[in-house]
Amino acid sequence: MFDLPIEGAQLMAVEFGDIVAYFSVYTGTLFAFALLFTVLAIVSLPERPMDIVFGGDAYYTKEIPLDLLRFQRFMAIACGLATLGAVVSGDIFNFTLFGSMIGITNIGIVAAVRNRHVLEAAYQYGIVAMVATVPLFGGAAIVLASTGTLSIWALAGAAAVPLLAKIFLILGVMGEGMAPFYIGKAEITRAPGAPYVLMIHVSSLLLFLRVVEIVLTV
Amino acid sequence: MSPYGTVLAVVLVAMAIAFVALLRERDDLHRLLLTDLAEIVALAIIALVATDLAEALILPGLVVGISELMALSEVYLVKEGLRSVPERLMHIEVMDSAPAILAVALVIYGIVLSGFSGGAVAGCGLLFWFFCKGHDEAFEIIETASGYAWALWIVAFFVFMIAPAYWLFAVMLAGGGILLKVMAKMALVGTMRGGRDV
Repeated sequence: MFDLPIEGAQLMAVEFGDIVAYFSVYTGTLFAFALLFTVLAIVSLPERPMDIVFGGDAYYTKEIPLDLLRFQRFMAIACGLATLGAVVSGDIFNFTLFGSMIGITNIGIVAAVRNRHVLEAAYQYGIVAMVATVPLFGGAAIVLASTGTLSIWALAGAAAVPLLAKIFLILGVMGEGMAPFYIGKAEITRAPGAPYVLMIHVSSLLLFLRVVEIVLTV
Repeated sequence: MSPYGTVLAVVLVAMAIAFVALLRERDDLHRLLLTDLAEIVALAIIALVATDLAEALILPGLVVGISELMALSEVYLVKEGLRSVPERLMHIEVMDSAPAILAVALVIYGIVLSGFSGGAVAGCGLLFWFFCKGHDEAFEIIETASGYAWALWIVAFFVFMIAPAYWLFAVMLAGGGILLKVMAKMALVGTMRGGRDV
């Protein structure tokens, strides 16, 4: 499969029966990015946003409660692990499961902030992410039904996967990875506990790049 | 067109109907319920594969759907500021007379079935009991039982791998373990409302 233009050279392939987890230059790069940002989520401390009173010298720092910090950090790390899984998985159904896990952890990161405006955006994003599992799992199921296997390794270069399944996969990933748009809506980047929000952007970017690779490969 | 294609077309129409309903709905809570409708369509697409593998794929699909539904319900509760726990959800006469006999019957039938489906049936029995009688002090026992069940299950797996000759014993252990485990999980449905015992 590594003669395909998108993959680049083969770095490593681990066989589990017919499912092969593989690292090409492409997925290896994605994996390195996900790993880097997971480590950053583990070691970084939360930002403490500063509010300055208009027309005076007064300013105050927002305190981040310890439980909020712990929850957001946990969710960010879980999101990083799900992203690691999604970029190396050699099985389309496992990829969709990791994709929806990214969706759930993203809801968790956003919903940790106790602010009605933020929660509203988290809720709307959650509805989109939930509905997106329909085309996501549907796409994987159609792949299985039309080719008899879910292994990307076995399907690579055969062009056996119907267009409908590819469209479904992309639609599903768009729904699951749509969080950054809702983040913009919620302005959560200015809410307390900012650095963990990075993981949302990283995970959806990597998820998009991986689904492009899958769709061009199978 | 093959039978698969025909039924897939029907399911896609169902999916379109669910999506249109979602688009037209304005109430947040109703939308949440409608997403569940869409999830079922996804399970139907997986089920259309109609092999053992499809059966194995439905379970994770279902689990993901339920976990997202639970997470969103929690977000909805916080978002709407719904904090107060209802004192008494419902009270009718049958809830005083029936729980003992119905719960016992369901639990015994669940033990006879054993395994996953048995756990679900027995869990329904326990759930009915807690619903009617309250559930203040039962969680500790259930957690303990669930822990032992988990250990039994793992032991059964080791027997399968190390001493396959005793497979019947291992099947019995695993069946009993999963029965307890699923029963314990089912019994928690709807009782976790963030009260003082949780």
